[in-house]
Amino acid sequence: MPEEPYNPSPIGNPSVLARRNWWQTKLVIFIGKHTPKCREMVRILSESMDSPLPLTMRIKKRIHYLICCWCQRYEEHLHYMRKTARCFPEHADESSNVPVSGEAKERWKQALRSER
Amino acid sequence: MTQDKVQLAAQRWVDDHGECLYRYALTRVRKPEVAEDMVQETFLAAVRGYEKFGGRSSERSWLCGILKNKIVDHFRKLGRETSFTDMEFFADECSEKFASTGFWNHDEGPKEWKPEPDEVMHRSEFWQTMSDCLSKLPQKVRDVFTMREMDDVPSKEICSILSISDSNLWVMLHRARMALRECLEINWFEQSTGKT
Repeated sequence: MPEEPYNPSPIGNPSVLARRNWWQTKLVIFIGKHTPKCREMVRILSESMDSPLPLTMRIKKRIHYLICCWCQRYEEHLHYMRKTARCFPEHADESSNVPVSGEAKERWKQALRSER
Repeated sequence: MTQDKVQLAAQRWVDDHGECLYRYALTRVRKPEVAEDMVQETFLAAVRGYEKFGGRSSERSWLCGILKNKIVDHFRKLGRETSFTDMEFFADECSEKFASTGFWNHDEGPKEWKPEPDEVMHRSEFWQTMSDCLSKLPQKVRDVFTMREMDDVPSKEICSILSISDSNLWVMLHRARMALRECLEINWFEQSTGKT
């Protein structure tokens, strides 16, 4: 299968830099060639949630975001999921309708009474 | 607080927070009898350690914190008995999302997520959607993801608890995040106009 033509920023890209004129096109292609591709960037972004990225990679990431609002959104989504996931336990009663049996509650209360 | 008052408070915890704790425990361990035991141990540990609760957080957060530790202990024990590496899941890593050049396919790229986290946290439908999306992840991947993101266990500690390598952990977390993000986007954020 022939490889798709090199095109990091098709027409309509809402990122800061897109191929809106000659110099932007040159800049977009340059950045696209010298920063990780999006498929690799999302893996790096996931790793950055667990250990800090080296300075050079943090700079490349910022530059990549100039041509790719989707990777920037992806990082925002990772933080969004983390923020909400951390609160999940306190909202677990809203996440399902699984009932707690009366016997279970009574057993817990009994265990607490015998803890005296 | 006297022992009698602690006892009285503890009886109230069962009614006020029992369901929340049980449903969280069940989400994590999936076996009703294990979840019930874990909640009971949580209440007992809370009574024993009540003096340490200075009211800095809500009662529910404090109880959830104790339960999280019980869950981590449970997985620590399980990690010694089970292989937690699951590399079969999501082998192509959402390949249809990317062009062969490695850049996002524009129509498939991440959309903007509205509303903000502080707002969705007050909507029970959001938590139901998150629970449904989590349940679609393969068991081991879900266990690793929830331990990292819900229980806030450092990645090094997860590797040690579950006896897995750093690189396996990162791959599993990456795939879980990608799948959960995709699921939330389709089932919550793209529908959210109808839910606002």
